[in-house]
Amino acid sequence: MKPFEIRDCALLTRMSGLSAAVNLRELRDRLAICNPNVIYHHFCETPMTPTFDNPDYRNDFAVWVKLHLGDRVLAERLGILDPYRFPDLEDLRAVTIDLIDERLSELWYVPTAPNGAEFHFTEATTVVFDTGRRIEHPRELATAIRGMTNSSIFFHYLEAQRREPPGMDDFSSWLLEFGAEYEKDIMALCSIDFTFFTLSELKSELVGLLSARGETP
Amino acid sequence: MTRYLEAYEGIVGAPVINRLRQLGKGLAGKRVVHVNSTREGGGVAEILDWMVPLMCDMGIDARWEVIQGTGAFFNVTKSIHNGLQGYPAAITPAGWETFLGVNRQNHALLGELLEEADIVVIHDPQPAPLLKLCEKRKGKWIWRGHIDISHPYRPVWKELKPFLESYDASIFSMNDFAHPLPHPQFIVPPSIDPLSDKNCDLPFSELEEVRARFGLDPNRPLVTQISRFDRFKDPVGVIEAYNLVRKIIPLQLVLAGGGATDDPEGKAVLDEVTEAAANDPDIHILLLPPDAHRTINALQRLADIVIQKSTKEGFGLTVTEGLWKGKPVIGGDVGGIRRQVVNYHTGFLVNTPEGAAHRIRFLLHHAELRKEIGVKAKEFIRENFLLTRQLQEYLTLFHEALRGSDERRFYV
Repeated sequence: MKPFEIRDCALLTRMSGLSAAVNLRELRDRLAICNPNVIYHHFCETPMTPTFDNPDYRNDFAVWVKLHLGDRVLAERLGILDPYRFPDLEDLRAVTIDLIDERLSELWYVPTAPNGAEFHFTEATTVVFDTGRRIEHPRELATAIRGMTNSSIFFHYLEAQRREPPGMDDFSSWLLEFGAEYEKDIMALCSIDFTFFTLSELKSELVGLLSARGETP
Repeated sequence: MTRYLEAYEGIVGAPVINRLRQLGKGLAGKRVVHVNSTREGGGVAEILDWMVPLMCDMGIDARWEVIQGTGAFFNVTKSIHNGLQGYPAAITPAGWETFLGVNRQNHALLGELLEEADIVVIHDPQPAPLLKLCEKRKGKWIWRGHIDISHPYRPVWKELKPFLESYDASIFSMNDFAHPLPHPQFIVPPSIDPLSDKNCDLPFSELEEVRARFGLDPNRPLVTQISRFDRFKDPVGVIEAYNLVRKIIPLQLVLAGGGATDDPEGKAVLDEVTEAAANDPDIHILLLPPDAHRTINALQRLADIVIQKSTKEGFGLTVTEGLWKGKPVIGGDVGGIRRQVVNYHTGFLVNTPEGAAHRIRFLLHHAELRKEIGVKAKEFIRENFLLTRQLQEYLTLFHEALRGSDERRFYV
């Protein structure tokens, strides 16, 4: 079997080129035309920029709507969106816009952010690099994960969900090569409800789960 | 000064250091030149002071050059600085010619080095015209704006913008500061060096020595603002806040800062501050030399509350420093201070001297809360605003600039 190559990544935030949105209608209009990378960044890359306080919601749109537009109804609807359940970012875009349109139709005013709290559309450049470290056998996986950086966890578990095969993390993909012996581990890894985990918490969950299944404690 | 990445392992952990080494590998041997306008004083010089040696430690051929200017040049660039921060500054055509002329002289000194470099990072507006003067440039040029230009005075921005448009990329501290320019704009907040004299741990004896040197009373609370004497730092507003508090609670105020060689207004502002202090013996106005890093460090550590009541602020490294020392920070609700001061978590954001006075009183009445905030504040900085994070983002940007493709995700 091929060893597991541990990679790491670094993100660099960049402006999307779109003007900042001052109100909900502008948010909707810019969402309709922005690059898919922008949608991916605001939905999926938020764990890479840790916030001090634990936000109520896990995507930037919901957080902004709650904090700066003061619309908790829409914040809750946007906040529950799970970007990993949409096979295509265009589907995610369509659903997000639909939720905003629905909310605009319910209101008699357009929620507007105060001066200085506009929504800035950003995206990220991601550099992926080889750490040079390898995992030779599944029994080494838990220990190896324990020693990984949070950004390695992001790359191999979260970012991997959008790569081939879709919806599967890199650890599970690798364990598949070892046959039926690791089916339960794969099922356990795939069943993690990672939405509300920080990267550190996700790492602990992965280590705990693999250790509990009899791998390296 | 020589610095090594491994020295930071005890603070940020080995995996972070390994990651930087891996990122640096692909850049080994690349010639990177940083250019700014002062070797000492201000946050930009402090950042370059650690960043360049660490880049060298990773095998990058990094250099830091400082342009030479005249008094007239720095008067103009101070007006440009004020204009970019929204102050209606009048700059005559002769002033712009001085700006360009000094850059021509510096091009004569630095042109060859800059044209041969793989990456040139120009910090702030002062050396910005160098790009147009380096017609044979081979590498990528990046303009790094450190100040808050979210609402610039238009005439100044319109004059400066043509100097910036030809850069390959620009970097801003916050996305609010970015402006439409015909190249990619990246967001990289600044950071502090936890091992520098300004931020390292200090022995108790040294704190006591500084306390005695400036005649500070150990039995009364101390509020400290460290910053250069600049109107945008609102030192007079801090004195107003102090005057409001001292009617109820006896306290002491330290306003300490140095001058920067590229800031000719400092003396005038210092005079205004001295006048506002009205010989109050509990207001300590300290004009410190540029190398008084350990003294500043001690003054921040001696404080019960750190204040940074700026009315404009690019980022506010003194806020980062105060938080790193485990102090609650009362900051002006502007610019990069908003990213660091989280109400009730790391301190308080205020808009007026009255607001600052209110929060000073609140914190002085809640000693336990001050401690809790201090613990959170330090961890917040460890996670977000130490040099290792900023270095990683610069390395990522260099990879991005040198690869010549527009893909958002790539392997090195």
